[in-house]
Amino acid sequence: MATRIGILSFAHMHSYSWAGALGTLPGVEFVGAYDPDPARGDAACNSFGTTYYQNIDDLLAQNLDGVMIGSENINHRGLVEKAAAAGVRAILCEKPIATTVADGEAMIAACKASGTFLAIAFPCRFSPAFLEIKKLIDDGGLGEIIAIRGTNRGRNPGGWFVDKALSGGGAVIDHTVHVADLNRVLLGKEAVEVHAEIDNGFYHQDFDDTGFLTITYDNGAFATLDTSWSRPKNYPTWGDVTLQIMGSGGVADVDLFAQSVTQYDAANNAVGWPGWGSDLDRLMVLDWLRACRGETPTTIATGIDGLRALEVALAAYRSAEVKQPVSV
Amino acid sequence: MTYKVAIVGGGNMGSTHARHWQALPDVDLAAVLDPHRDEIKITGKPHYKDWTTMLAEVKPDIIDICTPTSHHREYVDMAAAAGKAIFCEKPLSRTMEDCDEIVDIVEKSGVPFQGGHVLRFFPEFAFGKRLLDAGSVGKPATVRTARMSGFPGRGRANNWYGDYKQSGGVILDLILHDFDWLRWCFGDVERVYAKGLETSEKYRGKLDYALVTLRFKSGVVGHVTGSWAHPAGFRTTYEIAGDSGIIDHDSARSAALTYTQRAQEGEDQTGKVAVSRSPMAASDDPYLGELTAFIAALKAGVTPPVTVYDAREAVRIALAAVESVETGKAVNL
Repeated sequence: MATRIGILSFAHMHSYSWAGALGTLPGVEFVGAYDPDPARGDAACNSFGTTYYQNIDDLLAQNLDGVMIGSENINHRGLVEKAAAAGVRAILCEKPIATTVADGEAMIAACKASGTFLAIAFPCRFSPAFLEIKKLIDDGGLGEIIAIRGTNRGRNPGGWFVDKALSGGGAVIDHTVHVADLNRVLLGKEAVEVHAEIDNGFYHQDFDDTGFLTITYDNGAFATLDTSWSRPKNYPTWGDVTLQIMGSGGVADVDLFAQSVTQYDAANNAVGWPGWGSDLDRLMVLDWLRACRGETPTTIATGIDGLRALEVALAAYRSAEVKQPVSV
Repeated sequence: MTYKVAIVGGGNMGSTHARHWQALPDVDLAAVLDPHRDEIKITGKPHYKDWTTMLAEVKPDIIDICTPTSHHREYVDMAAAAGKAIFCEKPLSRTMEDCDEIVDIVEKSGVPFQGGHVLRFFPEFAFGKRLLDAGSVGKPATVRTARMSGFPGRGRANNWYGDYKQSGGVILDLILHDFDWLRWCFGDVERVYAKGLETSEKYRGKLDYALVTLRFKSGVVGHVTGSWAHPAGFRTTYEIAGDSGIIDHDSARSAALTYTQRAQEGEDQTGKVAVSRSPMAASDDPYLGELTAFIAALKAGVTPPVTVYDAREAVRIALAAVESVETGKAVNL
């Protein structure tokens, strides 16, 4: 029997890539999608050949095995609680898990109560380059990890991402969580202290677009992270995720999206770096589908993983206020 | 006129300077003073061991101080007392007390002074500053620089780089360069937070790595990577991002020349490492550039481009970073 999947909200562009991935996977039925915006929901469902539900309860009544949530950050909690209450086996929720620790904890508790597997969308975990360096590190190939210098820079996504009432913040909450999660996976350690310089020097608006974090781990390892929306609109690609991992036994540079070509498009007067690397969203959805079928996923981030990453971002905002490092 | 130069310190830096002084018109490299060495690395020039004798016999116009850092203050003091123009290598000193004293000496004597912050004269770094000033990124918001190499002098007996008291480690010796360039580009620093291996017994003398976050008074946020922890190679990068654009540099990308030689019959190919270089015309050499600028300023009677205050402020930033590593706190300047 096909695994029955629904999507809640196309507010986040990743809902579209997940929906696209579903279409490529055998044994999956994309039952339908709910979206509070009928025009957006209808258009998306038409393009993916699935049914649009204006009423979320009607969709959740369709005996779904799994639900993917791509709403605005602030709405993650309500949608997760509804899906969990409907008894789905697994949820894939866009990152950050929530905008407050209390919301994140409530989501984890709701899923625990209903026996639902809560996954958070950290596709970078599935990068083959990342997995290879993780294996090398686990095998002792870089010795003891001393420090990780990370970047997750991007363009300003605009829309609800810059409306704090819907997003919970700007570049720092948007981009801290990916690398905070990768660092935690590599080190197997928890962040204990965060320092951050946060500002709005790129857009000069009331949302943060600049974030330079320093994270200290419970074994003394340290990491810095540039989360800024510093890529201009004519930058050849959306942004980057890079890690320089310094170990006592060597150094590694990981550039998760380096697999690209350079395209000089004269017709559009544009230069681009379109990527040909493995489709991380598809790999992540594949792993998550295991949970939808009652099996155990291998790699995907859980609600707790999502919460730990959120805590780093929230600590960064507190640090920037007091201009000193703060405990996580 | 012709400027008579006496170099103090006949080691590596002294010999680099000597080569470039000799390439400059209107300059006569007249002597080298080095009381501590019997053999100096500069040939064909009179080698003095005594300051007073050298001064009396050579009558130099310029004293070029290329000694280990701990001797800078003493020679600045003697050169200023003799009314000589001073060129002094970086770091100015390893303590703020010494830096303040040197500033005081230079101010009171009124002698011309230039600090050896040669990075400003590296073509890629000078070019970045020029583009920045031309408004190519709009108003700058973030800046990142990195300077990464293996541990200097590794395997050498009595390696002074491994002694923090002498070299100051990666923060005071290596990324001091970046601090000066950054301050030149973005103005004074307000706050510094840093992590590094300064306090690590385990890696002392073997590897050093620091990640430094800077908040400039202008609001710009900066990040500096300093590494003596890479197994091999030397690489620099910078990126300046502003509200209307980015400029970035990566030495790994701008190597104009790479080549690999094929092993001969019976030879092992692994011994033939790839060579990667960024050659420039001799006239674009950064050391020649800083000395040329010094002479030009002396001729014009204007203040040389890297002042004693600049040299002091670079040390101030570095010492704040060291303090931050040691205390775990952000340090306000």
